[in-house]
Amino acid sequence: MKTENLWSCRDLELGYPARRGGPGRVPGLGRPRPASAAPAFLVEAFDILEGECLALVGPNGSGKTTLLKALNGLLAPRAGSLLFRGEPATGSAPLRRRSVYLHQSPYILAGSVSYNVLYGARARGLEADEAHGRACAALALLGLGDFGHRRSRALSGGEAQRVALARALASGADILLLDEPTASADSASADLVLAALRARRDAGDTIVFSTHDPDLAEALATRIIRFRDGRIQGE
Amino acid sequence: MKEAFLLLASGDAETWATVLRSLRFSFLSTLFALLPGIPAGVALGSREFRGRRSLIAVVNALMALPTVVIGLFVYSLISRSGPLGFMSLMYEPGGVIFGQAFLAFPIVVSTTQAGLSKLDPRFRETIVTLGAGPWRRLASTLFEARAALVAAVVTTFGRVTGEVGVSMMLGGNIRGTTRTMTTTIALDYNKGEFDRAVSLGLVLLVIALVVNLALHALASHED
Repeated sequence: MKTENLWSCRDLELGYPARRGGPGRVPGLGRPRPASAAPAFLVEAFDILEGECLALVGPNGSGKTTLLKALNGLLAPRAGSLLFRGEPATGSAPLRRRSVYLHQSPYILAGSVSYNVLYGARARGLEADEAHGRACAALALLGLGDFGHRRSRALSGGEAQRVALARALASGADILLLDEPTASADSASADLVLAALRARRDAGDTIVFSTHDPDLAEALATRIIRFRDGRIQGE
Repeated sequence: MKEAFLLLASGDAETWATVLRSLRFSFLSTLFALLPGIPAGVALGSREFRGRRSLIAVVNALMALPTVVIGLFVYSLISRSGPLGFMSLMYEPGGVIFGQAFLAFPIVVSTTQAGLSKLDPRFRETIVTLGAGPWRRLASTLFEARAALVAAVVTTFGRVTGEVGVSMMLGGNIRGTTRTMTTTIALDYNKGEFDRAVSLGLVLLVIALVVNLALHALASHED
């Protein structure tokens, strides 16, 4: 495993600002809309190494999703620092190029499954042939080999989650930030997801995922962090 | 009513010329309203910035203005002594099209903004996290909100086709030049000649029906 530090958090406070003068703009998303004044996540010191497979475990509302979004630069810190390879995660071009975040209930773009799975690869500038190859491989890995022409809006919840994971895998990102990646999956689908993520972990990708499922955390993670009420309880 | 149908069925040249002229004015004014209106609607519907809510309120207020007030305002712009007087648009087709585009602009902005505001917040996060640059994000947003954009076009076209105040004030209802379906109806009604007025009313009714059917079809398709 590579041991270079990817993320470094110090005195980090994350949350959705309710007052003016909160976090700055997130490129492509603008200023986040006010939701709550309460901090969702507070941590004094926390690092993530390259090549780690880190599980974030904790009950609903403990700050797992908030942290994952911040790690992807989708949410700016309210206070403290969150650095990716020494530069602020929000607005970091290397972070945007190398990482992808997957919602617990993923958003599937209008169009076909193929369009979705190719989207990230094309957005990151991969050539058409390479993007197509990656998309086919990712779909096959997740048992979706014959789904390419399906309309995305006709998918079940579990299928949509696998399509979104295939889209993330095909995007060329080597850092995967996954929010409950097996939440909507039946047991067969969950096995496919687990096998796909194990393959990426063993290939050296960095994976940070949240889960309620201690069995998934034990089966996949190289490190487990437990959360409660927006604070780290232990490893 | 029978005479009105006969007038349409007989292919009365003046009646159909008026219909085609109206549709041409509506098409062009919708187009000219879309060009600045869609970018403005996209900006209001997809970005958070200071003053956004005030701008939306202004756009909504403009939508509620009576057409005669808009006609009066545009008249002050394009009349001989106005800042755009040098363009000689008054009582010309260009004047009607300009005025209708002015009327249509807030409708396009508001409909586009409303459509984009309804996009799931996960959509923008998804395209950002997948690495889409600004142009790809814009193209994806327009594609994702395409039903709202088509609705903006259809609604605007229906609105400008049915308006009378702007066309009357800026076009002067000149036969063969600026006379539209609605201004013809107003004129014929005043003259007590109802056959052509009713026949044009029937055409407007059909346009309104087509517009509404198109909107319903879009809504059903989205569901």
